[in-house]
Amino acid sequence: MPLDPAVAPEALAALGTASTGAFPWLSVSILLPIGAALLIPFIPDPGDGKTIRWYALGVALITFLVTVGAYLNGYDPSVAGLQLIERVEWLPDLGLAWSVGADGLSMPLILLTSFITALAVLAAWPVTFKPRLFFFLILAMDGGQIAVFAVQDMLLFFLAWELELLPVYLLLAIWGAKKRQYAATKFILYTAGGSVFILLAALAMGFYGGGTPSFEFTTLAAKEFGTRFQLLAYAGLLIAFGVKLPIVPLHTWLPDAHGEATAPVHMLLAGILLKMGGYALLRFNVQLLPEAHAQFAPLLVVLGVVNIIYAALTSFAQRNLKRKIAYSSISHMGFVLIGIGSFSALGTSGAMLQMVSHGLIGASLFFLVGATYDRTHTLQLDEMGGVGQKMRKMFALWTICSLASLALPGMSGFVSELMVFVGFVNSEAYSLSFRIVMAALAAVGVILTPIYLLSMLREIFFGKENMELAAHTRLVDAEPREIYVISCLLVPIIGIGLYPRLVTDSYRASIEALVAREDVALTKVVGPTPKGLIRGAVGQELSFAPAFLHAPALGGVG
Amino acid sequence: MTSAAEIAWLIPVLPLAGAALTGLGLISFNRTVNRLRKPVALLLITLVGAAAVLSYTVLAEQLAGAPPTEVLFNWASAGTFNLQMGFRVDALGAVMLSLVTTIALLVMVYSDGYMAHDKGYVRFFTYLALFSSSMLGLVISPNLLEIYVFWELVGMCSYLLVGFWYDREAAAHAAQKAFIVNRVGDFGLLLGILGLFWATGSFGFEEIGAGLTAAVSEGSLSNGVAVLLCLLVFMGPMAKSAQFPLHVWLPDAMEGPTPISALIHAATMVAAGVFLVARLQPVYEPFPLVQAVIAVIGTITCFLGASIALTQMDLKKGLAYSTVSQLGYMILAMGCGAPEAGMFHLVTHAFFKAMLFLCSGSVIHAMEEVVGHEPVLAQDMRLMGGLRRFMPVTSTTFLIGCVAISGIPPLAGFWSKDEILGQAFNAFPLLWAVGFLTAGMTAFYMFRLYFLTFEGSFRGGDLSIRGALLQAAGKAPESHEEGHGSHASHPHESGWQMAAPLAVLAVPSVLVGLLGTPWNSRFATLLNPSEAAEMAEHFSWGEFLPLAGASVTISVVGITIAVLAYALHKLDLATAVAARFPTINAFLVNKWYLDAINDRLFVKGSRKLARQVLEVDAKVVDGVVNLTGLLTLGSGEGLKYFETGRAQFYALIVFGGVIALVLLFSSF
Repeated sequence: MPLDPAVAPEALAALGTASTGAFPWLSVSILLPIGAALLIPFIPDPGDGKTIRWYALGVALITFLVTVGAYLNGYDPSVAGLQLIERVEWLPDLGLAWSVGADGLSMPLILLTSFITALAVLAAWPVTFKPRLFFFLILAMDGGQIAVFAVQDMLLFFLAWELELLPVYLLLAIWGAKKRQYAATKFILYTAGGSVFILLAALAMGFYGGGTPSFEFTTLAAKEFGTRFQLLAYAGLLIAFGVKLPIVPLHTWLPDAHGEATAPVHMLLAGILLKMGGYALLRFNVQLLPEAHAQFAPLLVVLGVVNIIYAALTSFAQRNLKRKIAYSSISHMGFVLIGIGSFSALGTSGAMLQMVSHGLIGASLFFLVGATYDRTHTLQLDEMGGVGQKMRKMFALWTICSLASLALPGMSGFVSELMVFVGFVNSEAYSLSFRIVMAALAAVGVILTPIYLLSMLREIFFGKENMELAAHTRLVDAEPREIYVISCLLVPIIGIGLYPRLVTDSYRASIEALVAREDVALTKVVGPTPKGLIRGAVGQELSFAPAFLHAPALGGVG
Repeated sequence: MTSAAEIAWLIPVLPLAGAALTGLGLISFNRTVNRLRKPVALLLITLVGAAAVLSYTVLAEQLAGAPPTEVLFNWASAGTFNLQMGFRVDALGAVMLSLVTTIALLVMVYSDGYMAHDKGYVRFFTYLALFSSSMLGLVISPNLLEIYVFWELVGMCSYLLVGFWYDREAAAHAAQKAFIVNRVGDFGLLLGILGLFWATGSFGFEEIGAGLTAAVSEGSLSNGVAVLLCLLVFMGPMAKSAQFPLHVWLPDAMEGPTPISALIHAATMVAAGVFLVARLQPVYEPFPLVQAVIAVIGTITCFLGASIALTQMDLKKGLAYSTVSQLGYMILAMGCGAPEAGMFHLVTHAFFKAMLFLCSGSVIHAMEEVVGHEPVLAQDMRLMGGLRRFMPVTSTTFLIGCVAISGIPPLAGFWSKDEILGQAFNAFPLLWAVGFLTAGMTAFYMFRLYFLTFEGSFRGGDLSIRGALLQAAGKAPESHEEGHGSHASHPHESGWQMAAPLAVLAVPSVLVGLLGTPWNSRFATLLNPSEAAEMAEHFSWGEFLPLAGASVTISVVGITIAVLAYALHKLDLATAVAARFPTINAFLVNKWYLDAINDRLFVKGSRKLARQVLEVDAKVVDGVVNLTGLLTLGSGEGLKYFETGRAQFYALIVFGGVIALVLLFSSF
């Protein structure tokens, strides 16, 4: 699908470089798994799913290789704008076009998606119930999720966003645990409810200003939206993406969905689905509506801190292992919010890295939860204990992944949290007192995270063996497949931890361009010499601006 | 030829490579690697040994007057920010490098004997190598950020090693407590580092010091904020170096294997806090208030540790509180603006305290032959006594350690402790008085440990004491005694792997102090030549002798009381002191009630808070959601309708969207 250079040349020239006539890497990586999934019904299989799973693994691996190929061949990390662009007119009357591309915001997440999906297929090896449908859905999801990150058209984005819902719903509703119907329905209600706002915002932004409607990001980015319009659209999108990320108090679908899903689905949910929220926040809220972002950013920071502390406490009190890890995901996503709201290249970069890092660490922890459940047949911490006696390798893997999750230096979580901290504290967009209070509260997470993670380890593995558990189940140690999956996740986790520029350099230019855009908007909203982000004059014009947005200015010294 | 300083990065990398290799081996070929005990131990000891040789070369270069070496690279960057990492070798670092590698090497040799029968032998050596690597990395860190990185890593190693015997509940709790208390300190450290970076734009020690002073004098930063930032950073060392009130983790950490207690919880990791304060001297120096707070905290810790050590019956816990107390001395020295004195005590203490812990390990190892692998029994001094006859090497070296720590010249402890007390006398006379008193207590409790353990008659065979001890610890009495009929009737001296390190450590415990005599301190000359020259110039016997004489006198008084009470049994302290002041006795036995307060306030409090938040989450936040779901859809059946009614629902969305758009555009 070669690029049509006649389309919106100014916009393209402004935002990116075109690779004319190149191999359509992104379209292939979206359509290959979906097409391959459609072929699954025709694969001869004796019925136990053994052929299917090898087929699915092959397809997922090829998709991964295609995305790696895209990164190596068509992607230049030093370019800020859009690359790997492919564009075909689809429904010109509606302004709808098949338009995909990648920049620093999407490329790392595309790679993460194909990588985690390949591992999830490997994690799904023991699935024997309806394997055809299961692997069909996983592969369809793979394509759908890459599409979410790659498409450059807001309507297309909406379609991809919705398309990915269906497989998740079915995967939850068919392969889930006892309360799967409830969890699946809750998930779909929440997400569909949020999607309404995406559609509304997309239509509004597309039609804004009259003329031929266009939904392409480049066109939308060039539009000058009115302030009030930006704020409305921002608020709507924040709700939609806040559900996905999730932001407290829109999070309650997550413990249910995560608590009921099987391990491979779990890996995808935590590893990729949550990142769709963070990505979309950066892509739409920050990139397309920068002025509203300048207004809303303090709220994001506050919500981020709430996420960190609130979810860490709930996680600590949880007695169900899966739900505990699910809450820990929410807690970690708080750093993404703070980073996005930090108005600094370092902080935003940290938010991006936190998404990648949590994708890897979350996936590894959820995989281990699944593997442990296969052996103990219980998720209640009270029914475990002393499991480490028999499952020593499992114990080691759990320890490493938990340490990664509590942001131990040398692993990716530490770098991303540190970048968010340093970026936020040095951000000139906020008053000093606001920064101090928020940083101190966020740092409480540094204490809370090890409390719940190490207590969890202690209750599962340490101490004398739980006789009742040992009598009922055979506690087999980790098998090579499981060690392999975790090792695959640990290599990038530790790699990033040792040398974060492996990843940060791949999106550095884009993030810097994005932050430059933010700064322009900030100056416009606040004035050239900001005295703390939250100013009296502009804030009072907004009838619905929450009162506490003003509070940090009280003690502000700038 | 390249100098050793340029390849100093190899010092932490060598043990790391070994640890990574065996660690990977343990995960992928568990059984095979677990059987390769001696080869693994040999490999890791060789690597640490190589690191030690390299460290000595670096130290020799520094002694010869080589300039500090610093190599940096961009580790993470975004926008205009660059976070740099690298390594730095200077005199302070070189001393620590040699110290850490020496003790790590000896402890590894010792562990070969101590852990010989443990099924986790290979894992233990892997952790040891990992720890050595992290600790060495900390020592050569060129900036606060990198220190923080390794700071956390040594904390992790400590967690892994304290929880090494993970089937023991007490070890599991101790490991977790150690990590979390340290994280409380790291909370302050992290905020402090962030704040200092915000204030000065740098993570380097000298740059921060200069930047902070400049910012305060220019008025862009208020003095209070600067002090606050300094104190926040100090929270890190407070936790790591077990300073009041964050010392609570260290005595519990004795649940780990004894070689660990010697290496991590006496000689190296706990000293990291002192080391960091020494590194931060350029930052702290301009703020007298900060210095005073540091000195006061150090003094409180020093007194607290010694006072609790007076009543401990567990040999290792007694030594642990002694470590707390000695760390207090070091921090006191830092607060008095005498980092050389503090560092000197760190070095001498590392040698004799590591030796004392290894001795206690040797004793415990021997006791286990008699009473079995039950820490409540094997570590309790009420079951020991008379061990000198069975364990000559251990008892002799332990005695040397006692004399050294008590501050009797010419052994190591005298010179370093006396230097600290001298500095304190000039800076804070009141704190000196407390430190002086503590010196007497130190001598008393150390000789109490010695006499209870090694003199008198052996009580290990007394089943009635054993039963009472087990009952007090809330454990079941020894029911399987018949099955373990192979227990020996009396303990034996440990093998050469354990005895040799003791003998080797005894040499520096005696002699290393002579490097730091106040009239010609080679140690201070290395760290800070101008300061040392000044010190030597101002030295006068008239000032030195009264103070030194006083501290020797109080030590001798302490020793005399211990001799009267525990060797000659002329003095019954239980009736003379403990019965007369029951409140004080209970206060000390219960460790100043700090553990109880900690448990009630923080452990129970945080659990309760978490449960309440979860309740809110489940009942209020989720309750609203479920209520909305019920209201909009009527009933659970309605949910199913929704599933089939997807298409209609979307039609509705689109319809609603169009209406909203019309409304929107009409308003603009």
